[in-house]
Amino acid sequence: MAEAALAIDALVTGYDRRDVLTGISLDLPDGALVTVVGPNGHGKTTLLRAISGLLPTRRGSIRLFGRKLAGLAPHQVAAAGIVHVPQGDLLFPQMSVHENLLMGAYLENDQAVIRRRLEEVEALLPKLAERRDQLASSLSGGERRMVGIGRGLMMGGRVMLIDEPSLGLAPIIIEQVYEVIARLKASGRTILLVEENPARVADLADAIHLLDNGRIVWSGPPHDLLERDELLETYLGG
Amino acid sequence: MEILGPVLVAGITTGALYALATIGLSLVWGALGMLNMAHGALLTIGGYAAFTLATLMGAPWPVAVLAPVVVGALIGAVIYLLVAQPLLARAPRSFETNVIIATFGVAMALENAVLLIFGGQPFGQSIALTGHLQAGGIFIPWQNVLIVAVVLVLMAGTAFFLARTRAGRAIRATAQHREAAQLLGVPVGRVYLQVLALSGGIAGTCGLLVSSITQLSPTLGADPMLKAFIMCVVAGLGNLPGAIGAAFVLALIEAFASYALGARWGFPLLLAIVILVLIWRPDGLFGRAAVRRL
Repeated sequence: MAEAALAIDALVTGYDRRDVLTGISLDLPDGALVTVVGPNGHGKTTLLRAISGLLPTRRGSIRLFGRKLAGLAPHQVAAAGIVHVPQGDLLFPQMSVHENLLMGAYLENDQAVIRRRLEEVEALLPKLAERRDQLASSLSGGERRMVGIGRGLMMGGRVMLIDEPSLGLAPIIIEQVYEVIARLKASGRTILLVEENPARVADLADAIHLLDNGRIVWSGPPHDLLERDELLETYLGG
Repeated sequence: MEILGPVLVAGITTGALYALATIGLSLVWGALGMLNMAHGALLTIGGYAAFTLATLMGAPWPVAVLAPVVVGALIGAVIYLLVAQPLLARAPRSFETNVIIATFGVAMALENAVLLIFGGQPFGQSIALTGHLQAGGIFIPWQNVLIVAVVLVLMAGTAFFLARTRAGRAIRATAQHREAAQLLGVPVGRVYLQVLALSGGIAGTCGLLVSSITQLSPTLGADPMLKAFIMCVVAGLGNLPGAIGAAFVLALIEAFASYALGARWGFPLLLAIVILVLIWRPDGLFGRAAVRRL
C-alpha cells in the first residue's frame, strides 16, 4: 500500500487544559480528497489547527510523507508543505488581492516560480486577476474565499487543508467554490476538507470521516454515509 | 512675515522630529500591539551614543552618526528578546497591559544608566551643521534643513521597505493577521524582532537629531515620546501615515500657539485638541473601531 501523504495517529489536542480531540486517527492518501464532517464545535477546525501547529499535539502523531510534524511551529509546518486555508479566510484586509497572493509565496525565493504560480492561480480563479489591485477588505464573501484558496495555492505545498469553504456563502457561490475544489482535485492535489454538509462532497470525496465529540465515529465512502439515515439524524440533525 | 517665518521653520522642524519619533512608536504598536514606553529612552541613548563617539572618542562623523542607529537597533532587539517575547509567550491575553508596565521599567533603568554614566548636567551635541540659508527673507539654519531632509528620507525609506520588500510585507501581514501570516510560513518571532530593531534604530537617529537643536540630557526623549504618543492617539493607534500627518499639523499648531499666546500655552492647547478629537472620534481621526494595522 502506498504511503499516506498525511497520517494522523491517535491524536489528542485541545485548548487550555481541555482535550477537544481525544484520539483521532486518519490517513490521507496521496492525491486523494478526504472530508471530515460533523456537528459544529466538535473538533473539525481543531483537527486542522493541530495539523498546522497552531495547537500542540498532546499525544499521538502527525506525519507528512513520513516526516513528524508534531512539535513544529506553524511556520515550520508550512515550510514542510502543509497549506492551511483557514475558516473565515483570514485575509490581510489592508493589502491588495495581489499582495495577499504574494504573501502566499512568502517561502518561495525564486521569482520565476512565483510568477508561474501567479499565472496558474489567476487562470484558475480569473476573478482575482480582475480584482488584482483592490483591497481585500473591499471584496465580497465569495471573492474573499477565492483569494483565500488562491493564496493557499501560491504556497505550492503538498497537502491542502481547507476549512469549511462554504461557510457564510450564498448557495450559488458555494457551487462556484466547490467547482474550484473539484478542479484542484482533478489536477491531482491532496486535500483534507472540513465540511458540515456531507451531501456537498458526495461526488467529490474519496472518503469521509464523521467526527463527533472529539472522536471519529464513522468512516467510509460518502454515499454510504448519505444512506445511513440514523447516523445523519444522530450526528448531523438529519 | 519676519516673525512668522521662524515660527514656520520651527514648527516644520519639530513636526519632522515628532513624525520620526512617531514612526517607531507606531510601527511597534501596529505590529505587536505593544506600547513601548522605553521609546523615549531609546531617543536619549541615541543622542548620547553619537556624543560619546564624536566628542569623547573622537570618531569621524560618519561613524558617530551611525552609532545611534546601531545602538538603538540593538537595544530595541534586546527589549524584544528579554521583555516582550517572554510576556507574549507566557500571558498573551494580558500582553498589551503588561508590556506597558515592563517597558516603563526599562525606560527608568535606561534613563538612570545615562544619569549614572554622564551625570545630570546637559551637554551640547557636537554633531550639527552651522550656518544658515536665506530664502524669501527667512533665515533657515542648515541644521533644520538637514533634520527635515533626514526625516523625509527615513520616512520614504520606511514606507518603501514596508510596501515593496518581502520583509516589509511580512511585517504588515503579521500586523494585520498574525495567525494567517504564521500559516503562510512567516516566523512571527523574527518579524517582531526586526520591528523592534527597526524602531530602535529610527528612535536612535531621532534622538541624535533632537539633541542637535536642543541639548543632551537624560530626559531628552521624554518630550518627543509624549508628543509622539499624542500624535499616534490623535491619528488612531497603529495608523502610520495618519500619525505622520498629525505630527506636522500639531507641531505647527503648537509652534504658532506658542508664538501667538506665549510658550506656556503651546502644550495645553495641544492637549485640548487631543481631548476634543477623542471626544469627537474615540478611535482617533483616521482610526476605526478595530485598530488599523500598518
